[in-house]
Amino acid sequence: MKGFLDYVDGNSVLHRLNPMTKLIISFGLCASCFLTQNHAVVAAIALFDLCLGALAGISRRSALIFISLLKLSAALFLLQVFFVRQGNILLVLPFGLRVTDAGVSFSALFALRLAAVTMPLSLMLSITRMSDIANVLVRYLGIPYKYAFVLTTAMRFIPLFTEEMAGIMEAQTARGVRFDTGNFFRKVRLLLPLCVPLLISSVRRIEVSAISAELRGFNLRGRSSGYKRYSFGANDAAALFICVMIIVASAMI
Amino acid sequence: MLKFEDVYFAYAGGDTITGVSFEIGRGEFVALMGENGAGKSTLCRLCNGLLKPSSGRVAVCGCDTARTRTSALAKYVGFLFQNPDRQLCKNTVREEVELGLEYAVADKAERVRRRDAMLELFGLDGDREPFGLSRGERQKVALASVLAPEPDILVLDEPTTGLDYRECAAIMGVISRLNSAGTTILMVSHDMEVVSDFASRALVLNGGRLIGDGAVRETMRARRVMNEASLLPAQIPSLAMRIADLGAEYAGAFTVDEMVSAAANARGSARP
Ligand SMILES: Nc1ncnc2c1ncn2[C@@H]1O[C@H](COP(=O)(O)OP(=O)(O)OP(=O)(O)O)[C@@H](O)[C@H]1O
Ligand SMILES: [Mg+2]
Repeated sequence: MKGFLDYVDGNSVLHRLNPMTKLIISFGLCASCFLTQNHAVVAAIALFDLCLGALAGISRRSALIFISLLKLSAALFLLQVFFVRQGNILLVLPFGLRVTDAGVSFSALFALRLAAVTMPLSLMLSITRMSDIANVLVRYLGIPYKYAFVLTTAMRFIPLFTEEMAGIMEAQTARGVRFDTGNFFRKVRLLLPLCVPLLISSVRRIEVSAISAELRGFNLRGRSSGYKRYSFGANDAAALFICVMIIVASAMI
Repeated sequence: MLKFEDVYFAYAGGDTITGVSFEIGRGEFVALMGENGAGKSTLCRLCNGLLKPSSGRVAVCGCDTARTRTSALAKYVGFLFQNPDRQLCKNTVREEVELGLEYAVADKAERVRRRDAMLELFGLDGDREPFGLSRGERQKVALASVLAPEPDILVLDEPTTGLDYRECAAIMGVISRLNSAGTTILMVSHDMEVVSDFASRALVLNGGRLIGDGAVRETMRARRVMNEASLLPAQIPSLAMRIADLGAEYAGAFTVDEMVSAAANARGSARP
């Protein structure tokens, strides 16, 4: 499967929105998760995220992301639920642990929020090209091009890192290091000493890109010189309107 | 030693290896040729289980690669990656060469002996940091670390790329000495001179299909196969074939010596 943050090409309504609109909507959805204290609203927002995924033609991928987020949320829920002391006790456990109604409610909200907040961001990254995000950051938010460039480059290095790591593991396996074991702890123990070579080779790679950018006159660039224009159409207005409605609704409920 | 039975393999993009079958016996020196993207590196990766066939069977020394771990196969198969940087992962050249040995040779003293012999043979400085070396030097380090454990089979993906003439000759010398001592070799190379000088058998891959399998001499003369795979035979056989087209008796010449003696014969017979 492609990585979490990779761009998935498409031509859906969502893909064609102005990148700025997509940014605003995803942050808007995140904000509304925090504005509300109501479980149902957060769950509804999470459902809405999934619908957006389907609309963008990446329902399978968004479902997969959602499921893995739910697993993480479940783990966090279990970590928290035993340690909230306020509220009526529902269950008394050994070691002085107890489960209270306030604890359950708080932890559930927290876990739901985690999933609902991460989804729109990951969807947004799935349907917006990194370069488009950088361009609108420069154009509409006045962020210096260099910083936007650093951001996009950093994002682009994540898949490179994983690729590099896989490569090093392959090389070692081919020479008899038992990376292909099923034992997780053993694998981690083998992986730790690899962090240094991974770092070295990644830094070398970054250095090479930096030098080649320099050679092509990166530092001569004065003002932002992106030539791509982004139109703002009726679709964008409608999307923003819906987004504002959601925020207002979640703040009120 | 190494046996492919109707092997298919596909990356996400589509079929890369389609229906390849061949068998390599002990002590053979086989060259694998083909244009860029023909699937040579992919075929190499199938040899030691880094990739598993999607259908068909790959067997190495009797082990089915689909059912054996790559790390276990490493005992039999030495694998040189096309890109040496893919392979280097230790902080000094010495550790790098020792890495493969650790799993192959139990005796510490023997390990040290072999390691130092390798460093000496390739003229490498054990204290240097691999990433600070030049491309050709890194290639040598990678090769040294693959050769040191003396595996039964060597799968070498373009071992001489990036080396100067002298280094290339030195490395091929080491490889062919191992071959005479019984090591089986499967070598990818774009260098027809190296192939014609050292290999005895050639596999030609084109678009994932095996279109040629036979003695290097015959394969280089098989114009249809060579053309189809966009390969140009080594210079001497090319020359011999061109002269043969003119009607002279040079067609068999394959090495410089053979060419010279063919020329001497021709002179002899031309003389009154
Ligand atoms: N990891 C990968 N994922 C998807 N496709 C790949 C991958 N590696 C190789 N390919 C594709 O498989 C085909 C064969 O690649 P391969 O590396 O085996 O070629 P090659 O014969 O070794 O070429 P070269 O002479 O350039 O080394 C190519 O078309 C390539 O695009
Ligand atoms: Mg290759």
